[in-house]
Amino acid sequence: MPIEIVMPRLGWTMEEGVLAEWVKKDGESVQPGDILFTVESDKALNEVEAFDAGILHIPPDAPAAGTTIPVGGLLAYLLQPGEAHPESALTPSPSHSGRGEQDDLVPSAAPSLSRQLHAPETQSERGRGGEANPTISPRARRIAAELNIAWETLTGSGRTGRIIERDIRAAATQQPAAATIRATPLAKRVADDLGVDLLHLADQIPDRRIERADVEQAARRPTPEPMVNGNRSPLTPMRRITAERMAHSAHTAAPVTLTTEVDATELVRLRKQIKADSGGRGVPSYTDLLVKLCAEALREHPALNARLDGDSIIDSDGVHIGIAVDTERGLLVPVLPDVGGKSVRQIASDSAALIEAARAGKLGADAMRGGTFTITNLGMFEIDAFTPIINLPECAILGVGRIVPKQVVVDADAEKLAIRHMMFLSLTFDHRLVDGATAARFLQRVRQFIAQPYLWLI
Amino acid sequence: MRELTFTAATREALSEAMDADPRIFVVGEGIGVRGGNFNTTAGLYEKHGPMRLCDTPISERGFVGMCAGAAMTGSRPVVDFMFFDFILDSMGELINQIAKMQYMSSGRLSMPIILRGCIGIGNSSATHHSGNYYPIFAHLPGIRVALPYSPADAKGLFNTALRGDDPVLFLEHKSLLNMKGPVPDGDYAIPFGQANVLRNGTQITVVSMAFMLKKTIEVCDKLAAEGISIELIDPRTVNPLDIDTILTSVHKTGRLLIVDETFAPCGIGAEIAAQVVARGFDDLDAPIARLNGVHTPTPYSPALEAAVVPDNVAIERAIRDLLAE
Amino acid sequence: MTTAANPTAPAFASDSTLHALDSAAHLALYRGMLVIRRTEEQLARAHQSGFIPGACHTYVGEEAVATGVCAHLDRKDAVFSTHRGHGHALAKGVPPREVAAELFGRATGCSRGRGGSMHLFSPEVGMMGTSGIVGPCILQATGAGYTFKLLNQPQVGVAFFGDGAVNNGAFHEGLNLAAIYGLPVLFICENNMYATEIAFSYATRNTDVGARGALYGIPGVTVDGNDIMAVYAAADEATKRARSGGGPTLIECRTYRTRPHAEGMRDGGYRSLEEVDSWKQRDPIQTYRARLLAADKATADQLTAIENEVKALAEEAIEFAKNSPYPDPATASEHIYHA
Repeated sequence: MPIEIVMPRLGWTMEEGVLAEWVKKDGESVQPGDILFTVESDKALNEVEAFDAGILHIPPDAPAAGTTIPVGGLLAYLLQPGEAHPESALTPSPSHSGRGEQDDLVPSAAPSLSRQLHAPETQSERGRGGEANPTISPRARRIAAELNIAWETLTGSGRTGRIIERDIRAAATQQPAAATIRATPLAKRVADDLGVDLLHLADQIPDRRIERADVEQAARRPTPEPMVNGNRSPLTPMRRITAERMAHSAHTAAPVTLTTEVDATELVRLRKQIKADSGGRGVPSYTDLLVKLCAEALREHPALNARLDGDSIIDSDGVHIGIAVDTERGLLVPVLPDVGGKSVRQIASDSAALIEAARAGKLGADAMRGGTFTITNLGMFEIDAFTPIINLPECAILGVGRIVPKQVVVDADAEKLAIRHMMFLSLTFDHRLVDGATAARFLQRVRQFIAQPYLWLI
Repeated sequence: MRELTFTAATREALSEAMDADPRIFVVGEGIGVRGGNFNTTAGLYEKHGPMRLCDTPISERGFVGMCAGAAMTGSRPVVDFMFFDFILDSMGELINQIAKMQYMSSGRLSMPIILRGCIGIGNSSATHHSGNYYPIFAHLPGIRVALPYSPADAKGLFNTALRGDDPVLFLEHKSLLNMKGPVPDGDYAIPFGQANVLRNGTQITVVSMAFMLKKTIEVCDKLAAEGISIELIDPRTVNPLDIDTILTSVHKTGRLLIVDETFAPCGIGAEIAAQVVARGFDDLDAPIARLNGVHTPTPYSPALEAAVVPDNVAIERAIRDLLAE
Repeated sequence: MTTAANPTAPAFASDSTLHALDSAAHLALYRGMLVIRRTEEQLARAHQSGFIPGACHTYVGEEAVATGVCAHLDRKDAVFSTHRGHGHALAKGVPPREVAAELFGRATGCSRGRGGSMHLFSPEVGMMGTSGIVGPCILQATGAGYTFKLLNQPQVGVAFFGDGAVNNGAFHEGLNLAAIYGLPVLFICENNMYATEIAFSYATRNTDVGARGALYGIPGVTVDGNDIMAVYAAADEATKRARSGGGPTLIECRTYRTRPHAEGMRDGGYRSLEEVDSWKQRDPIQTYRARLLAADKATADQLTAIENEVKALAEEAIEFAKNSPYPDPATASEHIYHA
């Protein structure tokens, strides 16, 4: 009989828990005492151990990581070798059937249809990849060849341990040098004998072939600490999403960052005037002002407001600007829709509401979709310039530095200096979509709008 | 845009074509005064009379063969079978005569004939009024097989059928007939062999057709809310089959599921899978999956009938299952 | 059924037609029959010599039917025929060389090498195709009639078929449809008494095909298919009726093929040599030749001149076929679709 793995009760008052992460993978062998998964209960992150031995079977319709599950809710099974999967794994709730009133007419045969019909054929065709001989999907094999990754030693994350595309991509990002070690055969043998990590050495000697002497010299140096000790904690679901998005952006886009310093004195003056006139109402932040003026600039430079979809570039039908918000749980980017037609005050009140919702953890997924451009402001941390990562599929992101008074030359001929409020702008754009000059022209316009705010007030 | 039902859309195409071209005539049982069992010809008899809206005896082989001869000699028949199951009584005329005539005459004869009718399981139609059969026809050279989903596609594809010179099987899923959808004003035609990409996505390619598309779209939208990115493709015609669009998509996603109401063995899914394996093997990150109706004659009882066609739950499960590969 | 035909059409129609037609018309009919006979004799010989890779069903002995009917047709009328269709194609105006080349599988054949003996197409002269399947030609001729009525054109559709087709559903459905819609169609049954080797008397309890017309409410007659004058007269009446909106006619022509079902096939067992011989004595060409001379409708010199000319024509057809190229294999899948 398959052994059911359920959401445990971890305390007298616990009624439900969030499945944080599976520590064991589907298909992995489990021993009693092994940690199976982690649970975020109302108090803390808990590790859940296995009571029994077996092979972990996580059905495809099992609750995903991050899902809240009532205590006792079925998560997975432990199977004995050769034991068949439970027939209808986790019976979905009737509301999923999409059949409405006919439900009562139809016995339980229908929900497990796909399994009954085809699972037997496909299972038998598949076979299981033994440990000695990992299987790999054709696509993964092609990409491995393209990226020069030796896949034979990788562990697959596909069902039955098959190596699939994401395993190759992960290996490629972890070991960028793995494929490009250039070393003489003798150096390789000596490295083997002396226990020198050629990968590490290749990073230090990127420009030529590693020779025996390099290896011997490296062997005389004290070996760096091989493992980082310290607390290990699983990624929170949000951290994981951020990690995936950022890595995806970094590996997909062709980012170029342009940096420029701009005189923001007039912008500072403008905000002061608004503040003086606010009469107790909320005062727009610099970010709000930047949202407005960027929207104007984007309308003039729609290429920076476009997005890439497969082989085509889609012009956006409005300017929707995301603003990066730091929260306790991590970075969130709520989107201010259609800012082109809104007043600064409207933008300020919208963004205040979004930021509050973000920090309270009440931001819906919809509020973070559909952006065409993002602004990230690190001025409050006394950062001047940085290289923001594009929020794909958007084309560009504007990094905003702190505003700081500086002595600057205002008239070189008259040798006249003045104290001005200066600010750095860092624009990262996707070179796949636009060229440098296009992006630079946009940034130039933003710069102009900051230096002369009345240009966009009209 | 205005909304029409599937049937109203094809009827509009037919009506416009009959106004423009006196060579077009319709034959079938009850398509004259009665206007067709499914209202496919409603209102046309009054306009065009009994020669152009020709009621027939229950004589499928006879009128299909007759229309073959008519098409060869310069008129443009539209055979309205009501239920497409009835074409089976005229398979010899279809396969041995209609499909081969252009070839055997080395292109000197044309066979501009449309054979239309309802397909599909539903409404307790039972086994003689619910066949799909399009894989059989997709197997044959010399005929085209259209399988529209939306009213707009139905009109565009029907127009192509009405204007072309090749024999066309135009299959209308009965559960789609009264479904409304936007239909463009004015004249337009959708060429055969051009798939429609209904949803763009990156994680999995799903090919679905006819009424299965309605269910598949619902599942796609549900899963999209979870961030599952599905590319959904409607081939629209299964002969010719637009394999290039599917290959392009699989190149992007690495995963392919074919959802098809009718039988799996030697079916459309098998054909698509074979072509994708042959031409896109190195793009596959998982085995190709098929979700089909059960290989059985159609039962009558609602409980049995529902058990032989994929429903939303089965489609969702198949997608999740393939993503977990 | 081993006796001679028992035509129900009165013999005086044959005689009065003989007298009514002028000499030129008679010579044309005589030549028409002779073209079929001489061409097919050449084809049978070529088949034995291995020039014809596939089947070859000859029409020898039945030439009066195709010739007598097609004399009333022009190239816009549509003829649909069967596997035994050389005679119909030739009578409808397909040149002998194109028929020969088609059987030889050459690019110059009337179907460009795609069809062979059973699939002869020449829509340019209204030869809409012969078929390897028994029955569909009846339905297709009905469909041609539908087109002509729909588009108000004065043409007729003509189906030639054997006794083997009349117990097939297509016969019933086609005649019924043509009858209820009043279509301009001629249904010409060439009752040669055997469907391959199944005797017609075995295949039905009612061997009177002409009488079946009444079942569908249309005129049906039976004539001596070896008497071209009788066929001519019956077809004349039927085409006139069809062209004037009077609907379809069924004509049963009782005749006989004096060669086997197909070239190279054994011709024993199902019919006696005596039976075959008795029909050879009633050869439609020789009978007609004698009647023309007796009625002073032609002179021996005129007929001999035609015979020589046709003999050369048939021989030239075979030479043409032999010297024609095979189709380009790269074109094997062309013309499946128009678009």
